[in-house]
Amino acid sequence: MKVFKDLYQYRELLKTSVKKEVRGRYKNSFFGVLWSFLNPLLQIAVYAIIFPIILKNNIENYVVFLCAGLLPWTFFTAAVSQSSFIFISNTNIVKKVYFPREILPISVVTSSLINFLISVIIVIALSLVYGMGLSWYLVFFPIIVIVQYIFQLGISFIVSAITVYFRDIEHFIGIALQVLFYATPIVYDAATIPGSFQIIMKLNPMAYFITAYRSIFYYHTMPDWGGILLMLALSIVLIVVGYLIFRKLQKGFAEEL
Amino acid sequence: MKDEVIKVEHVSKSFTVYFDKANTIKEKLLFFKKRNKKEKRIVLNDINLTINKGEVVALIGTNGSGKSTLLKLMTRIIYPNSGKITVNGKLTSLLELGAGFHPDFSGRENIYFNASIFGLTKKEIESRVEDIIEFSELRDFIDNPVRTYSSGMYMRLAFSVAINVDAEILLIDEILSVGDQHFQEKCFDKMRQLKKEGKTMVFVTHSMQSVKDLCTRAVWLYDGKIKMDGDTNEVVDKYIEATA
Repeated sequence: MKVFKDLYQYRELLKTSVKKEVRGRYKNSFFGVLWSFLNPLLQIAVYAIIFPIILKNNIENYVVFLCAGLLPWTFFTAAVSQSSFIFISNTNIVKKVYFPREILPISVVTSSLINFLISVIIVIALSLVYGMGLSWYLVFFPIIVIVQYIFQLGISFIVSAITVYFRDIEHFIGIALQVLFYATPIVYDAATIPGSFQIIMKLNPMAYFITAYRSIFYYHTMPDWGGILLMLALSIVLIVVGYLIFRKLQKGFAEEL
Repeated sequence: MKDEVIKVEHVSKSFTVYFDKANTIKEKLLFFKKRNKKEKRIVLNDINLTINKGEVVALIGTNGSGKSTLLKLMTRIIYPNSGKITVNGKLTSLLELGAGFHPDFSGRENIYFNASIFGLTKKEIESRVEDIIEFSELRDFIDNPVRTYSSGMYMRLAFSVAINVDAEILLIDEILSVGDQHFQEKCFDKMRQLKKEGKTMVFVTHSMQSVKDLCTRAVWLYDGKIKMDGDTNEVVDKYIEATA
């Protein structure tokens, strides 16, 4: 439990690095932090124009439907892809100063969480614009977010540590995320998948998260608690295993970088 | 027992030196025997060293004798292959000044960031920020981005942060040559003051004069082993004799 004491002592560093991640990314750009808002908005605009044409779907209020899936997905990809090079881009401090190394992956996941929370305003605004209103099931939003946060923290520990040893992971992740994008019900509805492919929806953790978000934002129904509990269990296993791997590998960081 | 602040027990450290390191999976697969020539280089070999509270210790020795490695092991940047290092107390290391400075941020912002890397909380930093600026003599430039600083100013700011974090143990690697004569004097004064306050310090340096001035004990490392350990003057004289 020494790690919690360490993290508490270094809380200021954690705070500043989160701030640096959120603010620093858009430093020197004209719109500044507004980009955490504009970026997803533009992405939604592109998908919302393209996918209805290709998929010829007749989902009502498709923009809201898409938004409820795409934003949590962006939260996931931002956290995972940034984790893959967080130590490489911070080589200079890792090699020169001692600080609890856990701070870097935690700050990546936390800053992507903050960006996600900012962007959630978009779903809410769009729901109102399209006259769908909001449901009281939104009170479950924090629970889903927390489970997803733990899940991503676990992945982030593993990915950030392994990439130090195998730089290929960084490139591999780019491709893996693209494949996973189509294996996750973001632009389509999980129910429309042919039976033989339903297994993907069962095996893909992100499908559970997206489905849960979509229940509360789009369908205005109770989220599937079975799925959320399953994800909670998976996330806890992942964060414990991920942290153990991280703790073992971090000893060699300064030498491998 | 409580006076032992750093205890190094049977510590060995070796680095693997790759002649042509395969960093990607492709290289590892394609050339898994031929290209991955490597050699184990033992840098520290069964080191035992106990440093007590209030001691000012100099690690001396020729290049490649393992001084900096030992210092890095004490800070926990790297870890030993075998043996154990125990540290009691808050430790700050100045291995390289200004590590983590962000060129686009102002001097003041960098003080906050740098001090937070040393594990200070916001409150602690705020109570020190004036002292740090005062010590660095950079008041007129403190709100300019550090990329506009000269290298001397950069070092002065970095040293001022590091020396003001109030650590109980300070590890300092070859950075006594900060700034001009005037600033160096000031640094030495500060370190003498810290010594008086009973802080423990470990130096790596090649400046024998500063070793004699400041340190109470010298440890001579040679080829990864401790060759001599004891009174500063004695060890330094022997060392100069041997290398001359």
